[in-house]
Amino acid sequence: MASWARILMHRFVFVPGLLAVMAIAWNAYVFSHDHGIVEGRVVDAAGRPVAGATVALWVYNFTTYEEKEHVSTGADGVFRFTNNPSHRIQISAEKPGLGRSERVLVFLYFRSQDIAIAAPLRLAQGG
Amino acid sequence: MAAFWRVRHRTRQALLLWCFLAPSLAIFLLYRVLPVVWNLVLSFQYWSPLKAAEPAGFDHYEDLLADDVFWQALWNTLIVIASAPVGILIALMLALLVNSEIRGRDVYRTVIFTSYPLMTVAVAIIWRWMFDERVGLLNYAARASHLIDSPIPFLNSFIWALPCVIVANIWQMLGFYMIILLTGLQNIPHELHEAAAIDGANALRRFQRITLPLLRPSIFLAFVIGMLNSVTSFDLVYVMTGGGPGRATEILVTYIYKLGFMQTKFDDAAAVTVVFFVLLVATTWGANQFAGGDAGAAETE
Amino acid sequence: MHRYPRWPIHLALLLAGFVMLVPFYWVLKTSVSGENIYAYPPSIVPARIHPFFYVDVWYSIPFARYLLNSVVVSAIAVAGNVLFNAMAGYALTHGFRGKSTVVLLFLTCMMVPFQATIIPAYLITGRLGLLDSWLGLALPQCSTIICIFVFKASFDAVPRSLIDAARIDGLSEWRIVWHVMMPLSKSAIATNVILAFIWSWNNFLWPLIMTRSADMQTLPLGLARFLSYQEDTTGALYAFCIMVLAPGLLLFLLAQKEFMRGLTSGAVKG
Repeated sequence: MASWARILMHRFVFVPGLLAVMAIAWNAYVFSHDHGIVEGRVVDAAGRPVAGATVALWVYNFTTYEEKEHVSTGADGVFRFTNNPSHRIQISAEKPGLGRSERVLVFLYFRSQDIAIAAPLRLAQGG
Repeated sequence: MAAFWRVRHRTRQALLLWCFLAPSLAIFLLYRVLPVVWNLVLSFQYWSPLKAAEPAGFDHYEDLLADDVFWQALWNTLIVIASAPVGILIALMLALLVNSEIRGRDVYRTVIFTSYPLMTVAVAIIWRWMFDERVGLLNYAARASHLIDSPIPFLNSFIWALPCVIVANIWQMLGFYMIILLTGLQNIPHELHEAAAIDGANALRRFQRITLPLLRPSIFLAFVIGMLNSVTSFDLVYVMTGGGPGRATEILVTYIYKLGFMQTKFDDAAAVTVVFFVLLVATTWGANQFAGGDAGAAETE
Repeated sequence: MHRYPRWPIHLALLLAGFVMLVPFYWVLKTSVSGENIYAYPPSIVPARIHPFFYVDVWYSIPFARYLLNSVVVSAIAVAGNVLFNAMAGYALTHGFRGKSTVVLLFLTCMMVPFQATIIPAYLITGRLGLLDSWLGLALPQCSTIICIFVFKASFDAVPRSLIDAARIDGLSEWRIVWHVMMPLSKSAIATNVILAFIWSWNNFLWPLIMTRSADMQTLPLGLARFLSYQEDTTGALYAFCIMVLAPGLLLFLLAQKEFMRGLTSGAVKG
């Protein structure tokens, strides 16, 4: 093997090098995906999208969650927060008349991770 | 004239050598020798960081003798010292097993040694969780196999706390003892065993007559290091039990820390330190005698 | 030699290996468990696994700062160790007046455990004005006697002819050490680096006593503090534990040979 290849393959160079590459790649990913956008949908008990529901974002603060902001869903039931600062949030939706949803806990991999929540928030009566 | 230059050169040489020694010497003088002397002096004074020192005679030592916590700590420390041979015995068996010609012995050796280079604080947390009263593995295993009905509060019980700390300590040190004993085993020349086998000695006699005596320096070394380590295992005790329910796991080192840095009684703590140091030296010397002379010279020829 | 069956040996060693590894597994499983960790009976393999405790630990405690402190202190200690121990080891390969006293001094210093010196060491460091600083944290660990003797043994093995040739070439003592002896003592250097790093990385009592401000704390201290701050109702403590163990474990796996060799050679030298 060429001498530079031999140095590279030596465990003390290879392993830290690999770790450094992984750290850089991860940081690049984080950097390009941390706008704090949280998207999701609200549906009612029958599964139809609900427009005009109020969705609340709760942000993790030491041991509890604090309410941070509200947003309304658009015509297709989709809502969008744009500056989530935290790595652990809860969201809940409510519409007078149709009820409210549970508080759904969302774990993120890093602060302000952009995420589109797959499961819709279901409104239920008497919640 | 030439002789003059030779002398000059020699003293320059010596000066240079002393310069080379200087940094290490300075560190040891500053952080090993000076503290021992300072401890001794401090234990005979009344001193606090805000006042000047006053002579105290033997007052601190008299206080010690009357102090229940000190006696409890001393007793616990002695128990911990006495537990070192248990670990060495287990490690000896492991070393014998690993030394036999089996495939994968390097893997076994690495696995068993893994616990030693880890942070003792982390080991303490791991074992704290293992001994947990609600969901610890030990309680779970004992209840699942119907050995006990209700969980044992291991780290909160006056009887179980110290043995649990000792178990965690032995777990961490097993690999280290094993490596020392393994090195000693591998230094025993094969021919001795073969000659004895030819002479008709069976495995047990070979072990008794050849292995054990030649292993004595290694066993002594493992004992001294193990004893030093377990007696100074501040990290383990502090994180696992903080001194135990009441003072059940208080050892001299944790008591020194509490006296000195939590109660700011530096002079009392110095007296306990002196006693601790004397105990260590006495135990090492005693072990040396027991091992038959200057076993510190483990470079067996 | 007798032929004896192998499988009981394997069985016993497997049991020993199991006992050594199970505590790690237990903590690892708790740190990724998505269920209530205090539910009885505890699950051997958790049904739901998630890595989010690690995210929690990363953000809710200054892990990066603790890591930085530990790394800097260990780096200083390792550099100091290699430098000072090599110098002292080299000096000990020569005979000079007072050498036996120095050797005796070193050997007696080995008998003094760190725990017996904590109070004066704290006071001395305070007088030097080094409390709460990286240098103060690293200073007592900047030289170890075992490693001095390891270097001495390694330097003793260098053939005299090489040294004499270097002297004839006009190299000063300093250069002899660095250009002749050290390149031939790679294993002693490796041993020294590993041992010094591990001892300073794992050191808990000294940072506990020495540091006053929260952002000079090292990893072991941060871990112990976390234990007392948080009610450990989540797996976050165990995630922190694993995160703290990972570098040490990685280093050990990379450098096993040097490690074990260093411990035994140092230990055998008394």
